[in-house]
Amino acid sequence: MALLAPMQLKGAVLSEGPPRAQQANDSVLLVLAAASLADVLPRIGDEWERLGGTPLVFSFDATSRLAVQASQSGSGDVFFSADPQWIQWLEEQGTVSPGSAIHFAANDLVIAVSRDISVPVQPDMLSGFERIALAGENVPAGKYARTALEQAGVWSELEGHIVRGGSVRGALEWIARNEVPAGIVYRTDAEAEPSVRIAFVFEGPGYPQAQYWGVPLGSTVYEKSAVDFVNFVLGESGQPFLREAGFSAPQSDILDEEEERYAAGDTGDDLVASVSSAVRLSLIVAFLATLVGLVPAIGIGWLLARRDFPGKTVLSTVVTAPLVIPPVVTGFLLLSVLGAATPLGGLIASLGFPIPFTILGASIAAFVVGLPLYVISVRGAFEAVDPMYEELSWTLGSSPWSTFFRVSLPLALPGIAAGAVLAFARSLGEFGATVVLAGNVEGSTRTIALAVYTLLESPSGREAVWVLVGASVVISLIALLGFEALSRRQKRRLDDRHVR
Amino acid sequence: MSADTNFRLGLDLEIPFTGGGLRVELNTASTRIAVVGPSGAGKSTILRILAGVERRARGTVLVKEHCWQDSSNETWVPSWDRRVGWAPQETLLFPHLTVRENLSYGGALPDWVSETAALLQIEDLLGRRPRRLSGGERQRVALGRALLSKPRLLLLDEPFSALDRPLRAELSQLVSDWALDRSVPIVLVSHDEEDAKWLAEERWHLGGGSLRKE
Repeated sequence: MALLAPMQLKGAVLSEGPPRAQQANDSVLLVLAAASLADVLPRIGDEWERLGGTPLVFSFDATSRLAVQASQSGSGDVFFSADPQWIQWLEEQGTVSPGSAIHFAANDLVIAVSRDISVPVQPDMLSGFERIALAGENVPAGKYARTALEQAGVWSELEGHIVRGGSVRGALEWIARNEVPAGIVYRTDAEAEPSVRIAFVFEGPGYPQAQYWGVPLGSTVYEKSAVDFVNFVLGESGQPFLREAGFSAPQSDILDEEEERYAAGDTGDDLVASVSSAVRLSLIVAFLATLVGLVPAIGIGWLLARRDFPGKTVLSTVVTAPLVIPPVVTGFLLLSVLGAATPLGGLIASLGFPIPFTILGASIAAFVVGLPLYVISVRGAFEAVDPMYEELSWTLGSSPWSTFFRVSLPLALPGIAAGAVLAFARSLGEFGATVVLAGNVEGSTRTIALAVYTLLESPSGREAVWVLVGASVVISLIALLGFEALSRRQKRRLDDRHVR
Repeated sequence: MSADTNFRLGLDLEIPFTGGGLRVELNTASTRIAVVGPSGAGKSTILRILAGVERRARGTVLVKEHCWQDSSNETWVPSWDRRVGWAPQETLLFPHLTVRENLSYGGALPDWVSETAALLQIEDLLGRRPRRLSGGERQRVALGRALLSKPRLLLLDEPFSALDRPLRAELSQLVSDWALDRSVPIVLVSHDEEDAKWLAEERWHLGGGSLRKE
């Protein structure tokens, strides 16, 4: 815990008296805030600092993840939530003092559509879209969106169309890139994104609004500053910024029954089903990625091991790049090439194989991310085969092609299998590229890694998390044991001289 | 003595990458050629060039009426079309194949494999994997594989080095007869004068960057 709270530690060491009463000069407030505040809050923060307030640093993420982080790490000074539910949860955890939270803004839910769609869109027309982007089901924006669609009476007919981004920003990005024609996002996010248009605002009785609350965290050593900053945002200094960004004034009459309705969340549905679905999907995706990768890995591995040609370095670099490029970046690049709105992706989709949000997309992401280890292993296996075996085979009348199948491939086979196992294991663990290219769609792209990530946003998902964590560790260890065994076998196979 | 009166071997090669650089000029009608010289002189390289697995040398290789290499007009006959029986010094046997499979790799029929195995006294080893063979056994399997590839030219690299003296004499005689019967010329390289004595009709010495007839 101390490791996670460097700022508090620093403040505590520097201050002479009891930390709570002290206000060290170099103190900094760590503000954990809902992703939808990412544009407006820093602007209010600048104003606060200009007027002599304690310097601020921000960490923006989905409210649900921040709440869990704040509770478990015991760090942070102020928390801005897009959902009163999570304030209540933090009170139960003892992370914040009961009654200390302040309601400071509200945000409407809207239907955002691609700029290309100029016709008016009503909620009951949404089922005409193939896909509708929402934030994750435990993320406030995702929960509010579901409530809004239920209130409009269209949820049940849309369920098969829903694709989930991690956060509301992720969902918005897909709409902006034309990968998804429409989605339910916050008004403020839609207004800030020039590539989307607000087609409908969920206004009126029964429709939920995101309710923003600010609260000083119990872990803060700068309680006065923390309280002051929350009041600053609520007060006349902060409100104009919020209004300008599209937030509305706080409403006191939150509909309790709406809150109750989505309080259960989606995770309560059927843990066993979602766990087994995630494990099954992971295995299918990893298997497909391994299978699809077999021929390219053997081809490229052999070329790199046995041939010199112009561009060899380029090929080697491109193939192994995903090993060091952040997977999220890889996913972004793949989406830029293979997204349904791109020429190549559009062509593939027109052949009946859409890539984003499908198991195909998840498999492609896993394939690309797993390929470097695959190719490196296969290349090593071919390099371990003495080229003189191949030369001998030529002189015995076998062409290079025939030699490849009679000598090179059989001799490298255990090493190739080891590479396949390694690629399989890597594919199982793939997260970043998958979530960007294929989204987080239960039953088609929510693999173990994504399921764990989703469940971590929900306090009720803990047991399921452990089941998935266990499954993940067990499958990975089995795969690595297989890798070791196959690597040993490769060595034995090439050992044609028995020590006598 | 030579059964093939039409045979000619002509080498005119620049081999810059071995030792301190090598100039090879050889022109002979002999069908029993031995190249002797200290290790590292480039003997094996000459066989690799003849086998078609070493492409870095410049010049010409003429065998009988065939031109296997001519750098001046980019002529190159690939290994798999040359039909040479190459038994390299390393006696590499395919480790994933049995002795029988090694012997028949070049397409020899089963009867012929059994016959040759009996000749080389390795018929008891046919079902074994190479890793279960002694050095002498390996050498005989490698030799058998070369003989069984229906060669137009035998390239033997220290072929008897792992055999004891009586067996060496016996096998030398055997290979010699075998080649004579079938009119297959032999190019043998060895650092061992004894080996050369058994098989050679003409000896060349490799050293100091060039090849000289003795």
